Amino acid sequence: MSILERKKAIKLSADIALASTRAGRTCWSRAIIADASKDDDGKVLVQHLLSPESERLKKASTGLAMENKRVRCKKILKRSCCIKRVRKGASKVVLAKSISKRIVKRRTQVLKSLVPGGEFMDDISLIEETLDYMVSLRAQVDVMRRSLAKATEVVNGCAEYANKDEGIEEYNLYVREHDYMRKLMGNLYLIHRIE
Amino acid sequence: MINRALLPAGGGENMLHCTDMTVLERQRARIKWQQEQQQQFQLQQQEISYFTELADVFHQAGVHEGGLSEVVTRSVKPDPGLVDNGWNNDHVVGYGVGLPYNNGLGFELNYGAISRTSSCPPEAVAAVAEATVKGSESVVSDMISSGAGRESSKKRKVDKAVAEEDTRDKRIKGCAEQGESKITEKNNNKNSRNNNTNKNSNSNKENSDETSKDNSKVSEVQKPDYIHVRARRGQATDSHSLAERVRREKISERMKYLQDLVPGCDKITGKAGMLDEIINYVQSLQRQVEFLSMKLAAANPRLDFNVDNLFAKEAFPACSINFPTIGMSSDMTNPAYLQFNPAQQQLVACCGLDMGIDPPDMALKRTTSAPVSIPETFLDSSCFTQTHPPPTWDADLQNLYNVAFDQGRQTSFQTQPFTGSIEASNLKMEM
Repeated sequence: MSILERKKAIKLSADIALASTRAGRTCWSRAIIADASKDDDGKVLVQHLLSPESERLKKASTGLAMENKRVRCKKILKRSCCIKRVRKGASKVVLAKSISKRIVKRRTQVLKSLVPGGEFMDDISLIEETLDYMVSLRAQVDVMRRSLAKATEVVNGCAEYANKDEGIEEYNLYVREHDYMRKLMGNLYLIHRIE
Repeated sequence: MINRALLPAGGGENMLHCTDMTVLERQRARIKWQQEQQQQFQLQQQEISYFTELADVFHQAGVHEGGLSEVVTRSVKPDPGLVDNGWNNDHVVGYGVGLPYNNGLGFELNYGAISRTSSCPPEAVAAVAEATVKGSESVVSDMISSGAGRESSKKRKVDKAVAEEDTRDKRIKGCAEQGESKITEKNNNKNSRNNNTNKNSNSNKENSDETSKDNSKVSEVQKPDYIHVRARRGQATDSHSLAERVRREKISERMKYLQDLVPGCDKITGKAGMLDEIINYVQSLQRQVEFLSMKLAAANPRLDFNVDNLFAKEAFPACSINFPTIGMSSDMTNPAYLQFNPAQQQLVACCGLDMGIDPPDMALKRTTSAPVSIPETFLDSSCFTQTHPPPTWDADLQNLYNVAFDQGRQTSFQTQPFTGSIEASNLKMEM
């Protein structure tokens, strides 16, 4: 496998592992799994990684795809029927408000594109998902950094890469990392086997 | 704010002559409530066994305890708090402050109280136990449950009409139940709560339509999951604006949590700025993941990697080879990922030239071109000096992050997918 393919596989498996730690409970995790199951290599990974765990998780993610389609159609309909009112001669305050609203709207759209599965959620749940996703991403970065340090330690024989003990403040982050690290390690071996 | 139309009139009393009435009424209500408490507490003694178990589980859960216990105390506390302190405008004061929170006993008492008012304690307990045993209760749901418990108890049903004692009792119970329901997994209740907001806003409207003196309107139908919303003084009370205000408050509540999570966001107020920071942070995290996975891909199979030999021969121009071609020959991969001093200097020079380009992307381009042993402090625009290998990974990614973060003010509204082709083109650009 070339570098790029390997990198994609690593990233994909990392994402799937990450999603499985929050299995079923958060929207983004289900979205990741649903997306991964769409193409072939993703499917293989999903089956390998998630088979010990629930079948219902996979069902939940497939159900998500249907639901999202429905939501998307509804939104398209809504947007086509909605008329935008432009106020002329509005006061400065009102103008400023409308500008800020527009900015906020644009940024929420960006955020929706960032968070997996985010386009189909309303504002409130979007923020919750973002919170959860952020914490998970931090855990992911941390774990990958550590495993990389270990790997390069093996390669270079330098001990200095090894001990990167950044203090992990939050208990949750630690628990999640632990969980995640196990899975990620498993995944990496799996990738080598598949290659 | 005592003059507000909240007074627990015992029987259609005049709203305006508040103070004495209020005190009396409050006392009466309080005693009555306490009696109720006593009765129910005796009834529910057996439930305590559940909760000793639960308390043990929670002891193990460490941090979780804090958030959940807060919810618990809050859900119990409101009644004396309400009664004693009067209807403060926005906050139900005295939350959890007066109640001495004792791990062992406090839990039991509180859970006893909760079980009293809740509709399904065993399920709730089971759900919570399950959640904690899994050890996967997220920071989010903790914070949100504690915060939302606070939030919902702040809200009281409003009427321009007189608020009777009975409705207040119902409210208190509703509040406690709200607090309890937050303890269970939030997502389970979310939908039902959303439905109930709608229901409630409709019923609000009904109430405000009817005339005030409605003592006999003791709604016996206890709808347990209502979210009671109070209209603040001088604000509209129709259902739409109320619902909107609820929504806004929820959003701002959650933004506060985000503020705690995202580093460097304490000074930023307002949705737009916060959203900006959040976007930057998430983007930088995602880029880090990409970057790290690339490094891992490079490092992993090449476990017999001999650093020194491989780049001694190859000059820096090797980096200009596109990634796809690099993949093809194993000899070539190594120099692409390795760096030595002349290369550094050259890159540094490039850095100076290319400052016009969007810096975070540039930083990432550079790093993806030489992922393994880069002393990445050269990315820091302030110091263009050579740094000694080996770098610390902290410095690596910290700098990457800093660069991305500080200079991410210019947000591009499109996240670049870091596909291979982009990276390849970036490499070409650097040369």
